[in-house]
Amino acid sequence: MAARELALTALLLVGVSLVVFVILHLSPGDPFSVLLEGQGSGHAVSTSVREALGVPTTWYGRYLAWLGNMAHGNLGTSIRTGVPVASEIARAGPSTLYLTLGSLLVTLLLAVPVALYSTSRTAGALARALTLAVYLVSAVPVFWLGYVVIYLVIHRFGVFPLLSASAEPARHGWLYGLLPIVVLGVANGTVSEVTRHLRGEIGRVLTEDYIRTARAKGAPVWRHAFKEGFLLPMTEMIAAKIPFVIGGAIIVEQVFNWPGLGRMAWQAAQDRDFPVILGIALVAAAFVRLASLLRSVIYAGVNPRTATE
Amino acid sequence: MTRPAVLEIRDLRTYFYSRAKEAFIRSVDGVSLAVAAGETLGVVGESGSGKSVTALSILSLVGGSPGVITGTIEFAGATGAGTARRNLLEDLGRYVRVSERDGRIVAVTKDEPGWRARVERALTGVRGKEIAMIFQNPKSSLNPFLTVGQQISEAIRLHTPVTDAGEAKQRAIDWLERVRMDSPRLRFDQYPDGLSGGMCQRAMIAMALASEPSLLIADEPTTGLDATIQSRVVALLAELKSEFGVTTLLISHDVRVVSRLADTVAVMYGGTVMEHGPARDVLAPGSEPKHPYTAALLASLPSAQTNGGRRTVDGRLPVIRGEVVDTMDVPRGCRFYARCDRVTEAIRARCLGQEPALATVAAGHRIRCHLYAGETCAETRPG
Repeated sequence: MAARELALTALLLVGVSLVVFVILHLSPGDPFSVLLEGQGSGHAVSTSVREALGVPTTWYGRYLAWLGNMAHGNLGTSIRTGVPVASEIARAGPSTLYLTLGSLLVTLLLAVPVALYSTSRTAGALARALTLAVYLVSAVPVFWLGYVVIYLVIHRFGVFPLLSASAEPARHGWLYGLLPIVVLGVANGTVSEVTRHLRGEIGRVLTEDYIRTARAKGAPVWRHAFKEGFLLPMTEMIAAKIPFVIGGAIIVEQVFNWPGLGRMAWQAAQDRDFPVILGIALVAAAFVRLASLLRSVIYAGVNPRTATE
Repeated sequence: MTRPAVLEIRDLRTYFYSRAKEAFIRSVDGVSLAVAAGETLGVVGESGSGKSVTALSILSLVGGSPGVITGTIEFAGATGAGTARRNLLEDLGRYVRVSERDGRIVAVTKDEPGWRARVERALTGVRGKEIAMIFQNPKSSLNPFLTVGQQISEAIRLHTPVTDAGEAKQRAIDWLERVRMDSPRLRFDQYPDGLSGGMCQRAMIAMALASEPSLLIADEPTTGLDATIQSRVVALLAELKSEFGVTTLLISHDVRVVSRLADTVAVMYGGTVMEHGPARDVLAPGSEPKHPYTAALLASLPSAQTNGGRRTVDGRLPVIRGEVVDTMDVPRGCRFYARCDRVTEAIRARCLGQEPALATVAAGHRIRCHLYAGETCAETRPG
C-alpha cells in the first residue's frame, strides 16, 4: 500500500510539472527575452543564444531535459540569481512553512471553539452571533485585510516600525512576524467552512445510535464522539484546506514582504525564472500530497472500516 | 406478586410538541407499570404504541425537543441502602413551559441546558450502573471506532469496583463467554464491523450485564436481526434469565418473543396500557377474558397453535383493520374503538364517549375495555 501511495505521489508530481511547464511555454515571454532585454533584437539573437547554450528547440525537448535532471535530484539553477533552485527553496521554505502552519493554527483556534460552543448545550444567541461573525470574517479578502492591518498598526498607530522581516530585527520583530500569520489565518476564507463542517459533524454524530448507547451506559459522551465527531472532520478539513492556505500565503507574502516561497514564486514569475517556478510548484504539490497522505494515515489508524479494507 | 417492585411507573406521560401541527404527539399517555424483582415484564404492541418511548423515558433518553415528561418513575436499586426509592422524573417538568392562549397551545419552550443538567445529576449512577439498556439494531448501537472489548471493559470499569485494566479485560472475556460468544478472546479485540448482527447483540448484552445492573431494559432486542439469529438471541435471553435472574423490562412488537420470555405482560396501544397481567393469562390463545386488541394481535400470528384456528376462509391471516390511532388527536372514548370488532350495542355509547379504565378481571389481570368494566365498576373513572 505504501509503495502504491509513493508511486501515485511521483506520478502526481510529474503531472504537475508537465502542466506547469506547458502553461509556462504557452504564456508570453521566456527566460531569454528577459535575459536579452535591450541587447540586440528579435528572434535571431534569441535563437543563436539558445543554440550556443545547447537548449533544445522544442518545448517537450526542454521538458524532457528538465525531467532528466530532476531524476538525478537536480532542480536546475535560478536564471535570475544563478543559485541552484534547491538551495533557494531550502532558504525560503522554512519561512513559508512557518507562515502556513501558523495561520492554519490560527484558523483552527478561531473555528474550533466557535463550532464546539455552538453545538454545546448552552448555545443560544451568543453562538449565533459568533457564527455570523465567523462567516463575515471569512468573506474578507486576504489582500484587503493585509493592507488594512498594515495601515492600522504601522501608519496609523505606529505600533511597529516600517520594516520587513528580512531586515535586521526590530524591537517587536517577533510580534510583527505574527501579523501575517494572523491575517492569513483569519482571512484565508476557510474559517467559516471549518466551523460549519465541524459543527455539522458533531451534531450528526451526537444523534448516532451508539452515542445513545453511551448515554444509556453512563459513559462520557465526548469519549465516544471524539473520533468520528472531532478527529476525523478536523483531519479532513486540514487536508482539504492546505491548498487554500498556500494560495493565500503567496498574497500575504507579497503584502507583508515576507521572505518565503510565495514571494519568490511571484518574483520568479515576473522574471520568467522558469526553473524556480517549476521548483516551487513541485514543493507546493508535494506539500498538499503530504497532507492528504497524513489524512489517509490518520483515517486508517482511527477507522477500522478503512483499515480492514 | 409480593416481591417488591424494582421499577414502578405511575401515570407516565411523554408528549412531543409538533410545531407544524401546533399539537402534542401523545406518545405515552398515562402509562402505569411495575416490574417486580426478578421478573420479566414484557411490553408488547404495534409500532407507535409508545412502548419504546416508555423505555427511553425511564433513562431520559428521549431525544427531540421540546417535549414534556410527567408522572413518576420510582426506582429502587438493589445496591446501597436497598430501600431508597427515587423518582427519576423529579422536577423534570419544571424545565418545560407550555404557553396557552384561549385554551390552545401557542408555544412550548424547553430549557434544554437545565433539562440536560438535571438529567445528568439525577441519573448519574443510575444509567448503566443500576439500569442497563440494550437496543435494537445492535450494529449501529455499538461504537464502530472502539473494539468490542474496549466497550465492555468501559462498562466494567465505570460501574463495578474493578479499575485495573487487565482484570477488566478478564471480566469482559468472561462475559463474552457467558453470552455464548464463540472465541471470546478473539472477539475482544475486534471492531463491531467485523461481527455479525447477532454477535453484536450478544456483545451488547454482555456489556449491559457486565455492570451487574438491578434492571435490564431490552428495547426490541431482536428487531433488525435475521429470523434465525432472532430465535438464538431469544434463547440466549431465556438462558440468562434462568441463570442470573435479572429483572428485565422487555419491549417488543413480537408477541412470540414476549410470550417466550415474559412473566408479566402489558399490551400497549396508542400510548396507553390496554391489558396487563400474567403472561399465561394474557397471551394464552382463545382464553377469556381478553382485550379485543390483544385477541386481534394474537389472531394475526402465523402459527396454528396460537391463533386458535381463527384463519379466515380464504386461508389468509386475519389482520387488524384500520390504522393505528393518531396520538395527536386522541379520541374521547376508547382508543381502539375504530378498529374494534367486538363492540356491542349495549356498550357502543360508552366506547365512543368515555375512555374505559383498567378494570381488574382476575388477580393481577386488568383490562381496559367496557366489555369487562361491568364486572368490577369500582375503578371506572367518570368521563
